[in-house]
Amino acid sequence: MKKQALTILLILCSFKLAAQNSEIHGDFSLNLQSYIEDETINATAADEVVLNNAFLNLIYSSNNFTVGLRYESYLNALLDYDSEFKGNGIPYRYATYSIDGLEITAGNFYEQFGSGLIFRSYEEKGLGIDNAMDGVRLKYRIGKGISLKSFIGKSRTFFTYADGIFRGIDGEVDVNETFGLENQTKYILGGSFISRYEQRSNPKFIIPQNVAAYAGRLNILNGGWNYYGEYAYKINDPINSLQEREMNYASGSAFTNSITYSQRGFGVTAEIHRADNMLLLSERDRIGKAYIMNYIPTLSKPHAYTLLAIYPCATQAMGELGVQLDLFYKFKKGTLLGGKYGTKINLNLSRINALDSIGNSMLHDNIDHTPALLSFDEELYFSDINLEINKKVNKKVKYNAVFAHQKYNKDFLEGKTPGEYGTLSSTIGIIDLSYKIKKGHTIRIETQALFAKEIDSVSKKQEGDWIMALAEYTISPNWFFAIQDMYNYGNEDESKRLHYMNINFGFLKGATRFEIGYGKKREGIFCVGGVCKVVPSSNGLNLSITSSF
Amino acid sequence: MKKSFCFIILIGFLNSCDDLEGPYIDDTFVINGNGKNVLIEDFTAHRCSNCPNAAREIEAIHDVYGSKIISLAIHAGFQFAYPYDTTIAVNPDQKFTYDFRTIWGAEIDTKFGLSAGGLPNGMINRIDWTENGGDHRKDFSQWASITADELDKEVQFGININSTLVSGDTINITIDTEALTSLSGNYKLVVCLSENNIINWQTDGTYEDSDYVHSHVLRSLLTTSWGDDLTSASIYNGDIFNHTYSIDLSDLEDNNIQNSLNMNQGNGNAGGWDANNLYVIAYVYDVSNYEILQVEEKSLLTK
Repeated sequence: MKKQALTILLILCSFKLAAQNSEIHGDFSLNLQSYIEDETINATAADEVVLNNAFLNLIYSSNNFTVGLRYESYLNALLDYDSEFKGNGIPYRYATYSIDGLEITAGNFYEQFGSGLIFRSYEEKGLGIDNAMDGVRLKYRIGKGISLKSFIGKSRTFFTYADGIFRGIDGEVDVNETFGLENQTKYILGGSFISRYEQRSNPKFIIPQNVAAYAGRLNILNGGWNYYGEYAYKINDPINSLQEREMNYASGSAFTNSITYSQRGFGVTAEIHRADNMLLLSERDRIGKAYIMNYIPTLSKPHAYTLLAIYPCATQAMGELGVQLDLFYKFKKGTLLGGKYGTKINLNLSRINALDSIGNSMLHDNIDHTPALLSFDEELYFSDINLEINKKVNKKVKYNAVFAHQKYNKDFLEGKTPGEYGTLSSTIGIIDLSYKIKKGHTIRIETQALFAKEIDSVSKKQEGDWIMALAEYTISPNWFFAIQDMYNYGNEDESKRLHYMNINFGFLKGATRFEIGYGKKREGIFCVGGVCKVVPSSNGLNLSITSSF
Repeated sequence: MKKSFCFIILIGFLNSCDDLEGPYIDDTFVINGNGKNVLIEDFTAHRCSNCPNAAREIEAIHDVYGSKIISLAIHAGFQFAYPYDTTIAVNPDQKFTYDFRTIWGAEIDTKFGLSAGGLPNGMINRIDWTENGGDHRKDFSQWASITADELDKEVQFGININSTLVSGDTINITIDTEALTSLSGNYKLVVCLSENNIINWQTDGTYEDSDYVHSHVLRSLLTTSWGDDLTSASIYNGDIFNHTYSIDLSDLEDNNIQNSLNMNQGNGNAGGWDANNLYVIAYVYDVSNYEILQVEEKSLLTK
């Protein structure tokens, strides 16, 4: 009720303030899906038959003042969403104004410090994550090259707020600008601090009511060189159990370091990161991604092609060590490999493993374990070697080819009992060919194949080999039509050698897009930036509409 | 200047972190009690690798609060609870062939959406239930502190359980529920049987334990899942309500076997009850919000 009152107030306020330079804009999204039972793929029917997620963002701004809100509707939420998203509401509303370099926000806001190692409040609709803050935030540009931001608030969990109260401050100094340095090398320094207060009692163990985490970061830029490094630390943050083995008083830490060199037609990035016991929750005793308030950036390449992404790498904030090398090169036009239009290649290697055989840092009255700082000879979680070649053959034809070899520790990454599935080793080949038939008419054909190999002796039947084909016809700028089929022809369980066929049809007009599709979805893991969710199998019709104004 | 001052205030807020040093055990805690007991319903499954953590949490809570803590392990859900095939050719080690599920467990699980929220998961006296919300689902690391809060609540009912062996497998159970305060509203009584010390397979972390000791396993309900009316009249302080149930253990066991055969992927391997390890659990809840106001437990056969 309070929320509704505030909303009406905001709307009234916005009309009253209507003045020159004011505008209202927003966007709308609807995602409707029907679910029918399909025993062959283990898909269940929804009692409601049709489920729907929708939202509308409405933003009014006038000069240096902005108010906004988002109406969300889950009637009921799609099956790949947490069922606690239920009903309608206005869970996001805010007012912001800026004056003399100071920006004040009251209400909801998203915030990230550095790369997110100690704090990241964000929304990702694809994952069903929205941990928006509700509170007050100040951003202030103190002087040349120095900016500060700080906030106090609680984080959203579904249609309510978690118990933890977060206080945070982040400062960044552009050294060259602040001190008027005119050298070629540019230095940007940053530091951040987060404190969470959460009242908890425990009859057996002492509980820190205030838990702090801090981080420092450095960015050095020189010509084509770019170095970014960040280190983060979190003090003791046990859950609230009565079992000693569950009470971990060890501190947490994480670092990420990357160095990039780029020039026209060439770029290389080398990266290393490590996380140890670095999960910061909005409530110490809750489980689930809705409560996670920090973010360890992923160290593997985000793949868009279906078969490259069916075994994705989920980042392990509790403990992992990873390295990545990414190389980009463009063979120039007119050379042997470049041909008439040039050829782009991208080589990417990544490898992520456990910290050690025992696990993350652990501390209580009867154990004190700290894993090795850098040990690459530990249990492999994920590795990926992939080469992508992008070439325009002539005015009508262009293609993208990808060859990859991945290892995916399914038992660990999907929480299975060791020995059930082991580590999957897969070799993947993809050809994505586009042919421009005439002006505005393009056909695109994707063919993909995944050849799986068992590394370990396992107790469960494996999915084995896959092939996939997709044909997409686009009549720009308004229409597209696509048909695709994934076929799990190599499944060790013959009854699961199934086709997952999908057809999609889309219409775009201005800022509005309609898409309607029908088909089967495979049960699997879907990740964005190393944050993952389980997607149940489904069979049915889906309709999506997006629009903005 | 004013703005800088704002930041200084905020920095003051941040000067707060409790960096602790061992020993971490706190032996100064005093446990108060006023006769209120707490029911922890632990939704679990024999192939759920994290579920033994929740079972150990219950034992740890029990170690602190003793008999005030009563628990039920309710095996439920689509993913980890169903039994494996008993055919030797398919399952040579005969792992996970026992069916711990019950129709009542499934019904309660569906109503409250526990296994759908991921196992292990539980309810403490079923508090915080709302029609659309999920706050009643509690992760196991929340259980201790919520239990402590529940124990501090005012006690509204006293429950006394008596069981008498009539003959063979026939047992009479009487439940006397005493109102300790005058109340309006509707209240129901649920009576069930649980079994301790069942040795069978359980996935425990990365280990498949063939000799895991299953405790507090829900076996049967003597009422429906939603209980019998405590009374149709108004409730006054000092009123005593008497309910009697006559049961035949063999019938109840056969019932479970039949139910298992009727359930998704069930195999009928749900017998082998040991009457010496059976307990009667009786609880009273408020119909308006499902909150359990009092619970009591007693060994079925007087020892």
